[in-house]
Amino acid sequence: MATRTLPLSKRGFNFEVFMWAFTRFTVIAMYGLMLAGILGALTLSAQTGANFGDILYWAFFPNMAENPLGQVWMVILAKLMVIAFVLAACGHGVHGVLEILDDYFTSHAVRRLSRNFIITYAVLASLIAMYVIWTR
Amino acid sequence: MGLKRNVSLAAGLGYKGEGPYLTYILHRIGGSALFIFFTIYILALMGVQSANGILANWVFQLVFLPFMLFHAINGLRITILDLSPKLIEHYRAAINIEWAAYILVVAFALFIVLRNAFGG
Repeated sequence: MATRTLPLSKRGFNFEVFMWAFTRFTVIAMYGLMLAGILGALTLSAQTGANFGDILYWAFFPNMAENPLGQVWMVILAKLMVIAFVLAACGHGVHGVLEILDDYFTSHAVRRLSRNFIITYAVLASLIAMYVIWTR
Repeated sequence: MGLKRNVSLAAGLGYKGEGPYLTYILHRIGGSALFIFFTIYILALMGVQSANGILANWVFQLVFLPFMLFHAINGLRITILDLSPKLIEHYRAAINIEWAAYILVVAFALFIVLRNAFGG
């Protein structure tokens, strides 16, 4: 199968192309954050003696677990990384869900409605996640 | 973006796309599973106790984990092929490698879930 490459200038730059690129970049960010998060949690686990699983559980569910990390910089770093991951995941998911919904709804009006709904949902979910993770 | 589909459900189910089509369908199912997981996660962050209970339930983990892991591993293959167009010639080999990695990862994950569920 021959390889195909098309420069961005020939693809145009509409909503679909922007979202495609956004989806690709956010997923690369997610893989990077996963790797950094696992390495970071392992390092913090070794430094503080806290359980690796407890660190990850507290990082993603700060409202349901005790903070296993003592120093303030560790807490801030962990919170920033989890927020970055949740934002990247949310941004990545928006386009995926939109693609699936577009396959099932064929009318312009319903597509626009589903697009507005899912973007609103993503923004609200991101705000809730950021607030809880940062303040707890 | 086409707005009309002239393919019936029966024709769609009968489509012989083989391995690549299977990964495409499983990727979509995995993405949908992740969307449900994300929604439950946000509810758990909001303090809904039942949401936390669902996430901790081993049956939920047993059903959702295989799909979510497939989405992550298949996404990695898609990203690598996207970033290295020369590798697209070997996409079938890439899918085979993906399946091998997936089976190892999902077997380990399910073993952990079942061990925790049955107190091993």
